[in-house]
This record gives sequence, C-alpha cells and structure tokens, in this order.
Amino acid sequence: MVEERRILYEHLDVPDINTFDVFRQYDGYTRFEKAIAEYQPEEIAQMVLDSGLKGRGGAGFSTGEKWSFVPRDIEPRYLCCNADESEPGTFSNRYVLEKNPHLLIEGILICCYAMGIETTYVYIRGEFTLGKKMLDAAIKEAYEKGYLGKDVRGTGLNIDIYTHPGAGAYICGEETGLIESLEGKRGQPRNKPPFPAVQGVFMKPTVVQNVETLCNLPFIVGNGVEWYTEMGPTYADTRFDPPKPDANTGTKLYCISGDVNEPGVYELDLGLTCTELIEVAGGLRGEEVKAVIPGGSSAPILTHYELDTRLDFTSLTLAKSMLGSGGIIVMNETRNIVDCLLNIMKFYAHESCGQCTPCRWGTPWVRDIVQRIADGNGRKDTITRPKFGVAENGRWGDTGETEEIYEDLDLLESVANNIANVDTMTWNTICVFGIAVSWPAVSYMRKFRPEFEAAIREGKLVTLPVAEATVPPEENYAYQQRFIPKEFADL
Amino acid sequence: MSEELIQIETPFAFNEENQREFDELIGRYPIKEAAMLPTLHLAQRQAGYITPAVMKYVAELLEVTVMKVKDVVTFYPMFFEEPVGEYVIRVCHTLPCALRDCKVVLDHLKAKLDTDIASETNLAKGTTADGKFTLMKVECLASCDVAPVIMINDDLYKNLTAEKVDEILDNL
Ligand SMILES: Cc1cc2nc3c(=O)[nH]c(=O)nc-3n(C[C@H](O)[C@H](O)[C@H](O)COP(=O)(O)O)c2cc1C
Ligand code: SF4
Ligand code: FES
Repeated sequence: MVEERRILYEHLDVPDINTFDVFRQYDGYTRFEKAIAEYQPEEIAQMVLDSGLKGRGGAGFSTGEKWSFVPRDIEPRYLCCNADESEPGTFSNRYVLEKNPHLLIEGILICCYAMGIETTYVYIRGEFTLGKKMLDAAIKEAYEKGYLGKDVRGTGLNIDIYTHPGAGAYICGEETGLIESLEGKRGQPRNKPPFPAVQGVFMKPTVVQNVETLCNLPFIVGNGVEWYTEMGPTYADTRFDPPKPDANTGTKLYCISGDVNEPGVYELDLGLTCTELIEVAGGLRGEEVKAVIPGGSSAPILTHYELDTRLDFTSLTLAKSMLGSGGIIVMNETRNIVDCLLNIMKFYAHESCGQCTPCRWGTPWVRDIVQRIADGNGRKDTITRPKFGVAENGRWGDTGETEEIYEDLDLLESVANNIANVDTMTWNTICVFGIAVSWPAVSYMRKFRPEFEAAIREGKLVTLPVAEATVPPEENYAYQQRFIPKEFADL
Repeated sequence: MSEELIQIETPFAFNEENQREFDELIGRYPIKEAAMLPTLHLAQRQAGYITPAVMKYVAELLEVTVMKVKDVVTFYPMFFEEPVGEYVIRVCHTLPCALRDCKVVLDHLKAKLDTDIASETNLAKGTTADGKFTLMKVECLASCDVAPVIMINDDLYKNLTAEKVDEILDNL
C-alpha cells in the first residue's frame, strides 16, 4: 500500500504549532533565514523553476515560469495568496490556516524575497473565520519577532502581510476575480491578457499563488531542488525533440470525500492511481466504485474503467480531465449520476458572476435541463431518425437503422458546448468558469449516458448497475479524443 | 436610493472599537475603495445587516458613490440587506455533503425551527417568527471530510445527524 509522505502536513497536529515558539522548535523560519543568508533572490526563483513546482490552486501552471513573467522594473509588485478555497471537494488550505499558519507566512516571506515584493494580501474566504483569526494572530507574532515589517531581521527588507476577507462568492477564487474583489469591487474576472503577472492588483505586477503552493517553498529551499524532484513522476514529453521533461514533482494534499470510509486530507507523492488513493482513504464505502471526480467539481468525471489513471497533472490531462485543486470525490454504486450532475449544476448556476451572456444564461439553462430530466420531464423526441454511422458496406452514412432521439441530451450538450467547447477547448467567456460548467455537464452525460436516457425514458430517476450505467471507453467519444499516452514515458 | 429614504432611517456610524479597527485597515491599501469588503463586514457585524444608512456611511468613508457600495453588497451572498435572526444557520448542500445526507440535516432543521429556507432575495422566508434563527443553504464550506456540516454564525459543526443538531441547538 502507498505510504503517506507528510511534508507540508508533517507538524500539523503538533500542539500549539500555531504559535511562533513551537513552530520555531520545528525548524520554523530557518528556511527563510537560509534563503536570505545563502541565496540571491534570482537564485531562489531559479530553484523554484528547477523544482518543477506546479500551482496547486487549480490551473497547475508552473510556479517558476509564472514568476519569470513578472517585470522586475515596475514597482511596487504584489503577492496575493489565494485562500479562497471554494471548489467543492477541496479542504486542504483550511487546515494550514487553522493549524499551521506560520508555515504559510514562511512561504510568503520566501516568495516576497525572491520576487522583491513588499506587500502581500491573503484573500481568505469569508466563511473561514477561525482560519483568519489564527492567521491574523500568527502575523501579529511574526511582526513582534521581527520577521515582518520594516527591515526584516536586519536585512533591509520590508515585508507586510495583510489578510483580506471574502464574502461568499466562489468566483473570487479565480485569480482576476480575486483581484477585482480585493480592489473593493464585484468579483468579476478580467479579460486576459494582460495577465496578473504583468498587470494585477492596483494595475501593478502581481503574483497570485495558492496557499498550498506557497507552503511548498520552505521545503524546496530547505532541502534543495534535488530532494524535491525525487518525489513524484517526471515524464518525458516525446512530442518535443529533444523530449521535454514534464514534471509532477512534490507531494500533493489530496482531499478525498464522498463514499470512502475515512475521508480527509492525505499528503502523498503525486502520481498514485485512483484505486490506490481510495485504499489509502480507508477503502470504498459501498460495493463498487461508480465514478470518481478527480479535481474538484469542475473536473470531468472518471468512470470505473479509468480507476488506474494516475492522479497527477500530466496523466489526468491525458485522460481529458484535470487534477485541479486535488479534491477527489468518490461515488459508489448507489449514486445516481443525473442527481449528482444536478447538484453540481445548481452550484454553478448560483455562482456565475453574470458578466458573459453564454455563462449567465447558459449555466442556469443547463441546470434547468438536468432538473427536468431528474424530475422525469426530460424531453424525448418520439420520432425516430435514421442512424448515421459505419454502414454495412464499410462507408459512413445511413446505416438503415433508426434511433430514438433524446432531445434534451442533445440540447444539454449543445448548450454546454456553446458556453465552452470541451472538444476544441475553446470558450466563449471571459474566464474559465465556462469550462468548469461544460466539463462536468458533457463528461457526465457522455460517460453515463444510459442513466440519463433511462431517466428520460422512464420519467423518473433510475439508478442503473455500474456496468450498465457506464459507456465503455471504446464507444465513448470523450475517450476517443485522448492523446496517446505512449508519447509519455517515465524519464 | 433617494435622500429621503436614507433620512428616515436611523443614521449609522461605527462605534469606537470598530472605528479603531477601520482606521487600522484603511492604511493597508493604496486606495481607500479596496477596504470595501472588510469595512462592510465590520458594519454588518455592528448593524446586523446592511441598511441604506450603512451604505451611505461606508460610501462616505471610502469616498465612493452609494451606488458603488450597493453594487458590491448585492454581489456577495454574505452581505444581508434585510434583518436576519440572532443565529444564522448555514447548511452546506453541495455534492460531498449531499453524498453524506445533508438533506436529513436540512429537513430536520426546517421541521424543528418551523421555517422555510431563506433565499438571497427573501431572507424573511427563512427567519423564525421570534427572530432567533435564519436558516439558509450555502455552497461547499471546504469541510467535506467531516460532512455534513453547518455553520451557526462563525462556528462550524461537523459530522451532523438529526440528534446532533438537536443537541447543538439546545446548547446555543
Ligand atoms: C472558477 C475558478 C475558481 C477558482 N477557485 C480557486 C480557489 O478557490 N483557490 C485557488 O487557490 N485557486 C482557485 N482558482 C485558480 C486560480 O485562478 C489561480 O489559478 C490560482 O490561484 C493560482 O495559484 P497557483 O498557481 O498557486 O495554483 C480558481 C479558478 C477558477 C477559474
Ligand atoms: S465565464 Fe461566467 S463566471 Fe467567468 S466571467 Fe464570464 S460570467 Fe463571470
Ligand atoms: S460540500 Fe459541504 S463542506 Fe464541501
């Protein structure tokens, strides 16, 4: 069985680790001290790039690369720490804030030193009252001990950290939505480019980084790049010549919830499979896995055929899904996928910020279609139409058979794809919330089509046995679009 | 919002403690407007909900138009424009909680408090007659490992069942 490797969470349960003195006993702030004593800021940035660290907040973008876009000649520059954590199924940042806030501060200090940043805003979701309280207390202590404020530890650096509460809007987790919200406006995402790295908060260069991403920094500096890159798989992308290394280094705070016996946060090397993770989390609650959502509710669903998919950035992208925030939601054989989709679509319909027409209108429309399917009023066209496909003579065309049309399923796919097209990966919206809507909508429907059809046919929700409910990979359009994983070999 | 409407309301101003907190946080940002969310949180804590008078006061403090404040208040679900109960009960109903029977918790609360669920535009619907509780549904509270969860004001309650809800309400 795969072993947990606790690095970020190693001292999480040490009593009073939230206080400076106890944190200090466990090497607290020594990594920051090492950084300022032994390295130039540029060297730290290079280390982070070499470590292959990828953002843990959702997009999985290389942190070092993001830092390289920040123009160093424009002052001031800002760091925004994204502690908005609202992706359904994600809860790892909360524990860092509530139990080990000094670790986050140390990560922020290292980032500020590397990027020459003086001001950091930690955007904490409004519901995290305890987390904000703990972080505020830790920041206060760090000021008292001289790790924050003017002339930090006699180095001449000035670093300030402020917490900023959100107010219950999911879209403020999107980096430009966060920036708008921080500026005191509605949290409506901005058009990109310009990217925040160039023009972010108060129109100045801004680094936006998730809590977990920042918490990796002390360990990269403290233990070195080599130590860090040994964890997790690095693939060789052979589409490039010479093959480009595709790093999935480090550990991930996997949040697992739903139908497992011991839901919780497990810190493991990137790259274990779904099956292994379920085993680590105390095994399945139920008889059979029906579906797994691998990266928060925005990620396309995986079926029981795909449980050997490795939960890392590369493998999940190849499986046409994503690691996203690392929130893994497991569903057993008793769950109805139509019902699950309805729940998720209600969430998105509620959380659209309303700026773009396809998203503002399309998302509630998708929800309404799923709602009426779930209510048993799904529209089925009674006329049968010729079925197109490969005919007997081996050519594409009219097969001579007829098929029933499930009007609502066609409509669902069409509306979703007009918000953001999941096959071409193009979106008609300002932010990728659009993709986060159509990805689940289309993937659930394509991969569990029999259950949707049954609901329309029978006029009520019907939970089919797993084997019957799932479309096998060879028949599934969603899978056919997959890259060929053979292109990627372990380095 | 006309001037008259604002006039008939009791004017609003920060008490001493909140004024001190406000003075501290306004210094954190290069522009005053950026203090909008923390200021509104402070004001709501003091006033209970965001009245037109509060909006006017905040607008003056941050040197923006009242409309701009209203614009923000209406965007964020955590700001209330109507009175709410002494205890605001937020029941999470997103997928991971739904997989752990949050519906039982919600139905139990509805029956026990004898109230409907508030909607964002109608908080009164979810507020008990004695004004003690407001019941509302919210999206994922980032505690799915201990689902189903609810929040009562600032406190989170985990792994709930109908019995646990009874116990919690009795101890409030
Ligand atoms: C709709 C939407 C919601 C998001 N919510 C969050 C969030 O709650 N927390 C977070 O860290 N990132 C969230 N992100 C990702 C951020 O936009 C951004 O990529 C991230 O904060 C960058 O930090 P990282 O590189 O350290 O991951 C969200 C993105 C989108 C499109
Ligand atoms: S896609 Fe949706 S959430 Fe994103 S900016 Fe447009 S309306 Fe807002
Ligand atoms: S779904 Fe309820 S806490 Fe996440």
